[in-house]
Amino acid sequence: MRADLKRRSMLAATVMTVPLLTAACKGVGGLGTRPKAGPDVAMLQGAIDTEQALIARYRLAIAGSPGLARTLSPLLAQHREHLARLTSMLIEPASPSATPRSSPSSSAPVGNGSDPSATLAGLETAETDAASSLTGRLALAPPALAQLLASIAASEASHALLLRAHGAGG
Amino acid sequence: MTASPGPATAGPATTGPATTDPAPSGLTLSGAATGGTAAALQAALAAENAAIYGYGVVGGQLGTAARNRALRDWTQHEVARDQLEAMLTSLGVKPVAAQPAYQLPFPVHGTSAAISLAGYLEDRVAAAYLGIVALDNSRLRVWAAAQARACALRATTWLGRTAAFPGLSSGSGRAAAAGPSASP
Repeated sequence: MRADLKRRSMLAATVMTVPLLTAACKGVGGLGTRPKAGPDVAMLQGAIDTEQALIARYRLAIAGSPGLARTLSPLLAQHREHLARLTSMLIEPASPSATPRSSPSSSAPVGNGSDPSATLAGLETAETDAASSLTGRLALAPPALAQLLASIAASEASHALLLRAHGAGG
Repeated sequence: MTASPGPATAGPATTGPATTDPAPSGLTLSGAATGGTAAALQAALAAENAAIYGYGVVGGQLGTAARNRALRDWTQHEVARDQLEAMLTSLGVKPVAAQPAYQLPFPVHGTSAAISLAGYLEDRVAAAYLGIVALDNSRLRVWAAAQARACALRATTWLGRTAAFPGLSSGSGRAAAAGPSASP
């Protein structure tokens, strides 16, 4: 399966790399015509953006509520695993910039650190939204990516369950 | 690979996931697609049969409250089994039969081992559902993804921890995973 993922990413990356090289040969003027990423790459990039946004939220939450670190750190570590696995499917850097291009679940409040239960509730919503977002990408994904997205979505749904349990005083 | 925010034997005291995702109805498949679809559905059915057997073992080792939780999960696996059997029948394929007994992956004596077995069973069933997610039928994909999610939620409720890659974490791939293997 891992080999299958790699093969797919090679194919996907080839689609992106060749036009970029062509553009480079034309000099600076050619850079204006940056090729559109293929649908697989765009889907993968969307999932990567989702994970980056979640990682940022967890870091912020832990900084604001250090008392929650014991609960949140293992979940943050799993998001880093998600991000690494997704990024490994791209040969190109995950994103031209190191920061997330978008924050798919930015509508949910993350909590300001003074209220741990609000922080937990905000993260729970963000996890649920992220799982839904990944599930929504399933239908059009190539098989190996679909399996990875489904597994990550299941992981994030279970994160939400755990956060809810902790928020309830568990 | 796993996060463990709480004691291993104390799962979150929440109610379990509601898993009443209806099976995709009106399955229409081309002849060429049917072979792979049937194989993936059969693998999931075999995993569900193993889990149903396994939950019987789990329940036998638990006190009343936890045994009720096992009973609830056992019922959810029976519902999923029935859905898989109906889908296979609609494809004109005979569903695989449950084995009379299954080899357990480790000795199960006492509460802790029973809870570990429940977590193990859920991961194996999730792996089998990811085999269906790899199919080209988008409705089946979404349904199987919901089933894999339900497995992950049940596992988290039992174990009190989450996995980064439910169904993929043990590395044995997808549809081949069928939980405990049949014993003679």
